[in-house]
Amino acid sequence: MANLISEPTPLTVLSPIKNGDDGSQTFASLTRKYLQSLDIHEKSPMAKVPNTFLCRFFVLNDVFFEGSPGKVDHLKSKYLVFCCNFHGDLNTYLREFWQNAQQEAQKIWRHCVAFEQVHDAESFIDYIKKCELNTTIYFNGSTGLPLDEQLKALYLKQEFSQFACEKQGLSAEALFEAFQEFVERTRPADLTGPTWKPGQNTL
Amino acid sequence: MSNIAGKSYAMTVITPIPKIWAWVNLLKFWYSKNIRKKKSFGLQTLSLIHYARWVIIRPSQFPRLSSNQPKEDLHYAYMLFFSNFNGSWSQYVDSFHMAIPKGLDRIWKHNFKYPKSVPLQPFHRYILHNQIWTDHYYNAYPLASSNDVKAAIALRAALLEFIKQSENMSPEEFQKAYKAFLFYNQQHIAKMHSAPVINLADQAKVERVRLIESYEKTLRDEHGKPNF
Repeated sequence: MANLISEPTPLTVLSPIKNGDDGSQTFASLTRKYLQSLDIHEKSPMAKVPNTFLCRFFVLNDVFFEGSPGKVDHLKSKYLVFCCNFHGDLNTYLREFWQNAQQEAQKIWRHCVAFEQVHDAESFIDYIKKCELNTTIYFNGSTGLPLDEQLKALYLKQEFSQFACEKQGLSAEALFEAFQEFVERTRPADLTGPTWKPGQNTL
Repeated sequence: MSNIAGKSYAMTVITPIPKIWAWVNLLKFWYSKNIRKKKSFGLQTLSLIHYARWVIIRPSQFPRLSSNQPKEDLHYAYMLFFSNFNGSWSQYVDSFHMAIPKGLDRIWKHNFKYPKSVPLQPFHRYILHNQIWTDHYYNAYPLASSNDVKAAIALRAALLEFIKQSENMSPEEFQKAYKAFLFYNQQHIAKMHSAPVINLADQAKVERVRLIESYEKTLRDEHGKPNF
């Protein structure tokens, strides 16, 4: 039942938020408000974390009542939920998370129980593992390849589709020359660039 | 708060399941995955999904990191469902209902008051009642759908091979090979554009942050102290 599934790796984290408030707002509200104020797309802090494909954060306030004859359940803590799909192994991912977005991680988890014990990458890994839930069923409808390969492929698909549209009806010589220029400009084998940026939302 | 990041929608649903059935489900899913080697419950027929997962959590499994943190005392176990898909909420829920109702029922049928995926309206109500909104959603490729990603990977591999094969061709030979390349890879060739919903979701997010900030200002005095 553990996450021993071939790539991509799923990570589900439930971190309890401290009960209480800062004098005006509960710690759960402060956490939610901070999450909602984060920049999006390429400016999201998660764009700095290597190999993150898709992820979400939310505050789980409580569970739902399904109506009679059900029993009413209430959570005694609110939880910060982090759900992520990434490439690679968990330790490497979390270490790079801390190295690239330490300040944001500290702000996101700052109101969570026992997070004050986190002071470096290793303690961050330990903390997240204590909050990790096992994935029961996982479905990969896409790919688990490293993010730089996916982004390069998307860049190339966009550029080549443009090329194929524009270069219709050329003579053999002109087409040959245009394709050489295309390969030189787009460098299909080079993952470092040109390519799309993580979270890029404009062309 | 937004469930939308580019072309992806984040759906999160939490539903109660009697504790005994949680154990049965865990066993059933383990058997299905490890013995029968069936993992997808028909989901592979829905190409609009990037990634999806189900997580069953028993009351004792809610993380408790300090003795000061109260221990959860719940009547039910809970099943969390997370999905990242392309398109709208109703397109997704309706495709589940239309394409894989049996697969879906196999996963959810022991959950308390699960109405089954057919008929549609009670299923819609069940998902809406138990859905949680996302506070921050990040997508590494907001301009791309799941099919775009798969097509891009296939096209790049084909293109790298074509470049190698066409290295020493004459322009005439190249033209012929290029046309064949386009013919065999046409299903992967298409330009991507941002969908209108991306811009609307982004505008809504900016406006929401502005409203929160302006509302907060009215609640605080000039020194930033709460004014109520």
